[in-house]
Amino acid sequence: MEFGLSEEQQQIREEVQRFAENEIVPVAEEYDTEEKYPHDVIDKAAEMGLTGSYIPIDYGGAGYSILDTAIITEELFSYDPGIALSIVSTSFGCEAIMNFGTEDQKERFLEPVAMGEKISGAAISEPDTGSDVSSVSTRAEKDGDEWVINGNKMWITNGTVGDFFVVLCKTNPDAQGRYNGFSQIVVESDRDGFSAEKITGKLGIRASDTAELVFDDVRVPEENLVGTKDAAFMQQMQFFDETRTAVAAQGVGIAKGATRAALEYAQDREQFGQSISEFQAIQHKLAEMATDTEAARNLTYKAAWNVDQGNDITKLASMAKEYASRIAVDVADEAVQIHGGAGYVNDFPVERLYRDAKITQIYEGTSEIQKNVIAREMLGKGF
Amino acid sequence: MKILVTVKEVATVEDEFEIEGTEIADQYLGADLNEWDDYAVEEAVQLQEAGVADEVVTVTIGPEDCEQTIRQALAKGADRAVRVWDDSLEGVDLLDVNAKTEILSAVVEEEDPDLILTGVQAGDDSFGATGVSLAEEVGYQWGAVVNHLEHEFDGDVASVRRELEGGVEELTDIELPAALTIQTGINEPRYASLRGIRQAQRKELDVKNLADLDVDESAVDSDLELTDMYEPESESDVTVWEGSADDTAAELGELLRDKGVAP
Ligand SMILES: Cc1cc2nc3c(=O)[nH]c(=O)nc-3n(C[C@H](O)[C@H](O)[C@H](O)COP(=O)(O)OP(=O)(O)OC[C@H]3O[C@@H](n4cnc5c(N)ncnc54)[C@H](O)[C@@H]3O)c2cc1C
Repeated sequence: MEFGLSEEQQQIREEVQRFAENEIVPVAEEYDTEEKYPHDVIDKAAEMGLTGSYIPIDYGGAGYSILDTAIITEELFSYDPGIALSIVSTSFGCEAIMNFGTEDQKERFLEPVAMGEKISGAAISEPDTGSDVSSVSTRAEKDGDEWVINGNKMWITNGTVGDFFVVLCKTNPDAQGRYNGFSQIVVESDRDGFSAEKITGKLGIRASDTAELVFDDVRVPEENLVGTKDAAFMQQMQFFDETRTAVAAQGVGIAKGATRAALEYAQDREQFGQSISEFQAIQHKLAEMATDTEAARNLTYKAAWNVDQGNDITKLASMAKEYASRIAVDVADEAVQIHGGAGYVNDFPVERLYRDAKITQIYEGTSEIQKNVIAREMLGKGF
Repeated sequence: MKILVTVKEVATVEDEFEIEGTEIADQYLGADLNEWDDYAVEEAVQLQEAGVADEVVTVTIGPEDCEQTIRQALAKGADRAVRVWDDSLEGVDLLDVNAKTEILSAVVEEEDPDLILTGVQAGDDSFGATGVSLAEEVGYQWGAVVNHLEHEFDGDVASVRRELEGGVEELTDIELPAALTIQTGINEPRYASLRGIRQAQRKELDVKNLADLDVDESAVDSDLELTDMYEPESESDVTVWEGSADDTAAELGELLRDKGVAP
């Protein structure tokens, strides 16, 4: 058993820290307050190769493993989840193209994302489709050599800034079984009939762009279908291990950042003639925050390592996602508590982390859904 | 053109720290690539990208622990690295300029670069002398505190801008081979890219001891001794002028000039 990080992984961590401290920290509050997408930071991140780091070297990426990517995600999220999500989400949806796409699709779609020239998105959720993905109603119908797409997608990350989206559509309404008859189709945002409306007023991750997408007779060539027709659900399922592990890493990062901020504040703040870090009540909070974060990290790294080994880890990935997101919320809560009144305003980063943490329990499958998955696996019920 | 860049892992200190004897206590120390060297590496890599340099080699004097820091320069684009270390260096508290000069000049003789780039100074011991001393030892021309270097070389001549005191700058042509000590701000050092970090793991990092370089062990003996380390008492001083801006601005200007803040 090996618990250490390689020299290369340590170096990645340090360089990402350097980047975050110089390029993200000074502007984080501004992007949060103004709820605007951090184009400038994304450009710099792309230069460093942080966009699409897992895309293979042949397609312009860095070819990083899921564990490497988890380390990057953790570091970025520990400084500012909103900008961090904007950076790591520039390649959302690309995992489908990477694993099931044709050579031509990989060249067309992966390369520009890896180079930071294009932004992608994954469009699954709809106004009436959240946890129950099998209820997707966005329809793609074949007309000659084109797909004609109609429907609405909701809560789509990068919705108004994305160049293309991997859209989960119903392609065969007559298919037997509730998980059959769906396909993933790439829709470019400059197609006629495509429109996106930004969703504002989010509780957290306000720098990240979220939108509702409308497809009104959008036509795309048939070669935009990714993988096998009608088999998208099976395709999509294969990435849950990977994408849930990635959200677990986000949670670890948020907990790490909140602990760091609380530790610093506790040492600076004095009451009753001493640093509040001298009070055992505060010390115990800090100790629990650090321990919980470490436990979440170990679960997450174990999941990431297993994905890299090619192991099927449905249960472990859900455990990591559920636990790390819960820890993120708990630790951010305690961090605000340690700050007292100062933690209730945006003079310190913990106020933002507290708001940002919640999303990790919602997207990529809610905590309830993760527990359903874990229990189902334990009981041997399949899906 | 071949460029040799001297790089050093320096100690970084937390805002709050304690001194034990003549050293800052270990728990307050971190390590990083010397800031000035980061600019020197960037300048060299830019010269390579501009097609002026064919090879960029870094050299450092330091123990194995510093390899990770040195790989930063490889990740940013240097081609290979030389690290000098020796058992006789293990117990040395203070490696002075003479010792560094002797060791580095042996590396210069082996590598025979056209251009040596060093940082103006190291962020920790701040001798600010190694670059120039090295140039003198190996018989190269030198330019100190360079804050601009023309990337178009006119034959064997480097055109540089140097920072003098009091906001004055000087343009100088320096004949190669030469050593330039690089000032911060000469460029904008890049972040190591993820691909670069990956590639750096496979780049050559050659380790040499003093015998390999034909340097006598006595070179590391120092005439300098560190006798004390302390935090100076800092005094703050406030001057307040009463009156309108029209009346007092000139006085403020005079004070700033006096203190050397404004030229
Ligand atoms: C900021 C943001 C970004 C997002 N980005 C994307 C994106 O890029 N692409 C995308 O496709 N989607 C995205 N989403 C959507 C997200 O994945 C969904 O919000 C999430 O899956 C939950 O679906 P829902 O909101 O419809 O909640 P619902 O499914 O309506 O759930 C409501 C509540 O009911 C519970 N519940 C539902 N079913 C069960 C059950 N069987 N057992 C127990 N409890 C249950 C849930 O856990 C939850 O507590 C994003 C959402 C947000 C807020």
